[in-house]
Amino acid sequence: MSKEEILENMERAIVEGNKDEAEALAKDAIKQKLDLNEVIDKGYIPGIQKVGDLWEKGEYFLPELITSAECMKGAMRVLQPELEKAQISSKSKGKVVIGTIEGDIHDIGKNLVASMLAANGFQVIDLGADVKLEKFIGSAAAENADFICLSALLTTTMVGQKKVIELLKEKNLAGRYKVLVGGAPVNQKWADDIGAEGYGENAMIAVKIAKKLIGE
Amino acid sequence: MSRPVERIKNIKVEFDEKRILSLIGYRKRPKEIKEPTKSLIAEEKKKLGDLLHSASIYTIIDYSETSKHPVFKDADKVAICICTIGPELEQEIKTKMEKNEMTRALILDALGSEAAEEVAIQSDRRLAEIAREMNLWPSKRFSPGNGKWDIKEQRFIFGLLPAADIGVRLTESCMMVPRKSISFRINFYKEQKLSTRKKFI
Repeated sequence: MSKEEILENMERAIVEGNKDEAEALAKDAIKQKLDLNEVIDKGYIPGIQKVGDLWEKGEYFLPELITSAECMKGAMRVLQPELEKAQISSKSKGKVVIGTIEGDIHDIGKNLVASMLAANGFQVIDLGADVKLEKFIGSAAAENADFICLSALLTTTMVGQKKVIELLKEKNLAGRYKVLVGGAPVNQKWADDIGAEGYGENAMIAVKIAKKLIGE
Repeated sequence: MSRPVERIKNIKVEFDEKRILSLIGYRKRPKEIKEPTKSLIAEEKKKLGDLLHSASIYTIIDYSETSKHPVFKDADKVAICICTIGPELEQEIKTKMEKNEMTRALILDALGSEAAEEVAIQSDRRLAEIAREMNLWPSKRFSPGNGKWDIKEQRFIFGLLPAADIGVRLTESCMMVPRKSISFRINFYKEQKLSTRKKFI
């Protein structure tokens, strides 16, 4: 198979949600000693971008988006050790620290956002659910993150999003990280009121906002 | 004085296909569901038998035994209930996420939510029947955290019922574990009110 065919098939595997194919093609690329960053940029990324477009057009729904993100993750799992071995850093759109606010044990929505961000080229550090407010800031500093994403599924825990932003201000870190908020009781007005940089109504919108905030 | 507590175990769950599709993102156009999602739903549904361990626990109390929160105003009796589908399904969701099977995890989560709701509906029906047997009018069911009923009232509910008997516990922030659990109250009134059900059950 030529390089062009491999790249084309990679894109198709992501769009069609074919995990086995996406992973097999990643192995082929390694075998053929292809430039792995080129493989990601010209094979897999166009696929996930197409999936996003299909979702915007209303042709794809959440399960299709997530299946494509799974394929992307599967392919990256194959490529990552090779990239590390060759000491090539995979291109990242930015580093994201994400978690569900303290007191809240819901995590499916947060996991979907984390998957979609990772599939779209962001490096994601997932802190899990029921995360202490200070930990978001500590991890963001330790990881030199670009984004802090705060999920809250309850009206009682969404106030934690506000508190994280207040804590950042107290520590003179306002503006250091872009703060994105999401969750069932959250809306744009709440995000504006607390001073968050963005509100992701769903996983795909969260990706769009993150991309916009990095100027893409 | 020990309060009579009833338990219902192994409640049979019927799934509403439309609601499941809505939960996984096909709210507006459920007919547009595609393969392989359709097959994945069918496959996950088949495995549910081993993952659902539904149970419900309830008691009926007098107004004098309530927390006296305004939501109980004018009630003659109050039914308090906790329902769950057990922890196994949540564990399976976690396993699927770790295995990079997010779509299956999403589907399973929706099935779990729907199953928990179904257990609550059936428990609610049973409690409405009890109200009828007592010649009282039942309100709709309400859960803490909704409307004016503070989530902290979960502590009152868990103080009344031995929730551990059905494997449910409360976190410090008043969330239930397993997550696919529902707690609620139904006020029983002597007379029909705007807030009571139109029909007697």
